[in-house]
Amino acid sequence: MFNKKREGLSHLDFIKRLDRFVMKVETFILSYAIILISVMIIGNVLSRALTGNSWSFAQEVSNFAVIVATFMGISYAARQGRHIRMSAFFDLAPKMVKKFLAITISFVTAVVLLVLAYFSFEYVLWVKDTGRVTTALEVPAYFMAVFLPIGFVLGALQFLRNMWINVKEEEVYIGTDKKDFSEQENNKGPKTQVEEKSEAVKQII
Amino acid sequence: MVATLLIIMIVLLLLGFPMMIPLIAAPLVVLLIYFPNIDPWFMIQQMMEGVSGYVLLAVPLFIFAADIMSTGKTSKRLLDFIGSFIGHVRGGYAITTAAACTLFGSISGSTQATVVAIGKPMRQRLLSVGYKDSSAIALIINASDIALLIPPSIGMIVYAVVSGTSPGELFIAGIGPGLLIFLFFAVYSYIHARRYNIPLAEKATWAERFQFTKRALFPLGFPLIIVGGIYSGIFTPTEAAGISVLYALILEVLIFRSIKISEVPKIALSTGLVTSAVFVLVAGGQAFSWVISFARIPQLVTSAVFPTEPTALFVLFMVAIFFFIGCMFVDPIVVILILTPIFYPVAMAAGVDPVHLGVVITFQAALGSATPPFGVDIFTASAVFNRSYLDVIKGTPPYILMLIFVAILVIMIEEISLFYRYIM
Amino acid sequence: GGGETESNVNGDLGQDQNDGNVDGAEGEATGSDEVYDWNFITEEYEGQVQYEYAAKFAEILKEKSDGRINIEVHEYGVMSEDSQVTLLQSGGVEFAIISPGFTGTMVREGQLFALHFLFTDDMELNQQILNTSEALNVHLTEKYESFNITPLAYWTEGAMQWTGNSELRTPEDFQGFKMRTQSSPLILRSYEAYGASPTEMSWGELYTSLQLGVVEGQENPIFFIEDAKFHEVQDYMTISEHNIYVAMTTVNTQFFNGLPTDIQDMILETVEEMRPVAYEMQERMNNELLDAIINNDTHPTEVIELTPEEREAFRELAIPVRDFFIEDVGEDAEKILNLLIEEIEAAQN
Ligand code: NA
Ligand code: NA
Repeated sequence: MFNKKREGLSHLDFIKRLDRFVMKVETFILSYAIILISVMIIGNVLSRALTGNSWSFAQEVSNFAVIVATFMGISYAARQGRHIRMSAFFDLAPKMVKKFLAITISFVTAVVLLVLAYFSFEYVLWVKDTGRVTTALEVPAYFMAVFLPIGFVLGALQFLRNMWINVKEEEVYIGTDKKDFSEQENNKGPKTQVEEKSEAVKQII
Repeated sequence: MVATLLIIMIVLLLLGFPMMIPLIAAPLVVLLIYFPNIDPWFMIQQMMEGVSGYVLLAVPLFIFAADIMSTGKTSKRLLDFIGSFIGHVRGGYAITTAAACTLFGSISGSTQATVVAIGKPMRQRLLSVGYKDSSAIALIINASDIALLIPPSIGMIVYAVVSGTSPGELFIAGIGPGLLIFLFFAVYSYIHARRYNIPLAEKATWAERFQFTKRALFPLGFPLIIVGGIYSGIFTPTEAAGISVLYALILEVLIFRSIKISEVPKIALSTGLVTSAVFVLVAGGQAFSWVISFARIPQLVTSAVFPTEPTALFVLFMVAIFFFIGCMFVDPIVVILILTPIFYPVAMAAGVDPVHLGVVITFQAALGSATPPFGVDIFTASAVFNRSYLDVIKGTPPYILMLIFVAILVIMIEEISLFYRYIM
Repeated sequence: GGGETESNVNGDLGQDQNDGNVDGAEGEATGSDEVYDWNFITEEYEGQVQYEYAAKFAEILKEKSDGRINIEVHEYGVMSEDSQVTLLQSGGVEFAIISPGFTGTMVREGQLFALHFLFTDDMELNQQILNTSEALNVHLTEKYESFNITPLAYWTEGAMQWTGNSELRTPEDFQGFKMRTQSSPLILRSYEAYGASPTEMSWGELYTSLQLGVVEGQENPIFFIEDAKFHEVQDYMTISEHNIYVAMTTVNTQFFNGLPTDIQDMILETVEEMRPVAYEMQERMNNELLDAIINNDTHPTEVIELTPEEREAFRELAIPVRDFFIEDVGEDAEKILNLLIEEIEAAQN
């Protein structure tokens, strides 16, 4: 029994570490996707202005980065509670109703994302089957699509975690790492380090 | 089918689901029930395609540039400069916001990019002189509509190609209505500031003004380079977004040294987060509009609303209503793509000028994109300012009323758009 | 609504019924009274060649079948060409008009239509070649069929022309010239062969970019140039006819093979009847719109006709690009191209 418990603990520990690692990967992909788009567009303009030649791959690589950022971002936005919602009624509801809604919404959202993951997996197989290549770089077209099922699955997992936290904890969580607006101090969202820094800078000046 | 679509959308939406769920689940259910012949993964293909457009790249890039400038010193210096000249006027900062949005409209063809680039730094300023957050956000998302009317405008280019109208003429025709909106907003800002007794900032001395101007010289070069670059043909409006990132980085990292190069990925992460939250909806919107257009829902609706020989004015008002409602729900560009081919023949038969029609349509697209429940600018503002949906829409009614009033003027008085024909 | 389920008597369903009754269906051709509801998707809008083609096609088939075949024609809407092809391939729609240019990443042999100065400057002869060529109608068609797409006819929507903000008459005029192209390595090579700097750009930005000089010229058929009003922001148009804009009437292969033979014959007959109709439609439209460009006094455009010698100068530079195409795409591409070249030469003599 003692052993089992220890095993259980190390399982949890492992899951936590895995989750941290996945989050690191998500943040890396999100930020470098944006940087990649910038490099492509700026590089293309400079190359055309200086040498007269365009980068034929700029558009394709940028589109790739946008697709990756969009779908891999689902999970990270779910952690931060940053998915856009029309929360007018939710905001006005009493806490018990909120709690019930938060659990239901997370669950149904996770289910929809898993369905989308399944269809997008089918889509990846379809694209792979056609043997299509991209226009400019002529790499297999499914390389781009493969990020959709991954993004949807990671997103679904995050919403399931969110459901679990709402079942377990007393407060209402709208993101895995974010409480409802009414339960935050000063009614403000958590700040990223950069936001904190920019505010600090403003206060100094 | 229409009922299935609407019921699923509205119920999920009101319950407070992440917006992507009603937008994706509703058409998916319709596809599964009514189009068994089409593979469900086709929705996925449409979602991918929705975010693949080249001109869409301007959105993350302008957001990135705006993030860099608001983290560093650029926006502060720029706004200090403007403030030192008109901050002491009643409603001075609000007027500045509207003016900045109009100016930025000549850089970007997109209302969303304007929300980010002007809204982010201006909001801080408005709050600091005593505006309520809801008034500040409402002003920003509505003033950014002007971007779609001032050339270059993505909405007008799409209309031009779909309808075969001259984009060049459309561009000129958008300027009148754009300036008219600015005028209304400026007057309203003045009245609003008087009524809520927004405290007047102290009038800056000329020495201070000189100081602020000197400090703002580099940031002031920013619009010059962007506008100059586009109009001299060095880069396209989409590429201008990339150049603004470059310029922001040069200023903040090399000249002001307010950001270390190692901090750039962190800023990019905050941009990536907003991009993802907004683009998931763009993806869902594409899937949604594909399903409704394949099911011919728009055509069903229009054949029901027009009498056999409608007058030009009647057609224009109907067009305005349909585009307004459409853009409240779906991305304006998508609405223009779907509805223009349907209404264009009816309008031509009724004797409407194609350029005037294009201006009316673009105007409604801009107006709808700032109007609840689904206006894309609301989402963008919600994501960028990290505010709840309700906070974002609270202050918008007066602006929407003004925009509707200007819209009626633009519809009734053809000369507001077609003024250039009388000059040339 | 109640009508939608009925309208889904689709390809798969027709196929299932046929599977159970193969011999019967083939034998008693006219005895069947099955009703078909199909979808036909095009890359253009109402009033443009492809849409009008599809509408006429639907009309003829409805008449031939005594109202049993109903085809709903979809114009180019929110979908890109790419997803239209996917929809056809996966059986979501039965018929489509697609351009080989938009399937060039899948059926790479189809890129041959992008080669410059391969066809002649006689459009009627070009159409005749498209109608009868074995290289296209047998060998290239096979390539498409392996992707579940059957091209029923190859036809042209007109020749491609150049527009520029300066005269484009000789390869020298292309030195350093910023030419807008679609994204395709083969098209890039073609313009590099003339010494130009090809620039890839989406059409959404093309009008403004031509106006402001981000790019200096572009290529398109006349009807497209007039539709998009590119001539308003360009001073010159060269009747270069450097290649022809090809469209294919296509059908989902699996669906078509599953149809009763009398219905298949009806479709093939309609395709034949449409050949001259399509040719006349594009000729009338391109001629009318060329006149519109010439007679536009608000935005004057000087129209340049190339002499045979001037064409030849470009042709010589364009021929080596064929080797790039063959190297890039492979052996089958070489066979198809060589056979097509023979056919074109034979047709000219
Ligand atoms: Na604009
Ligand atoms: Na909208």
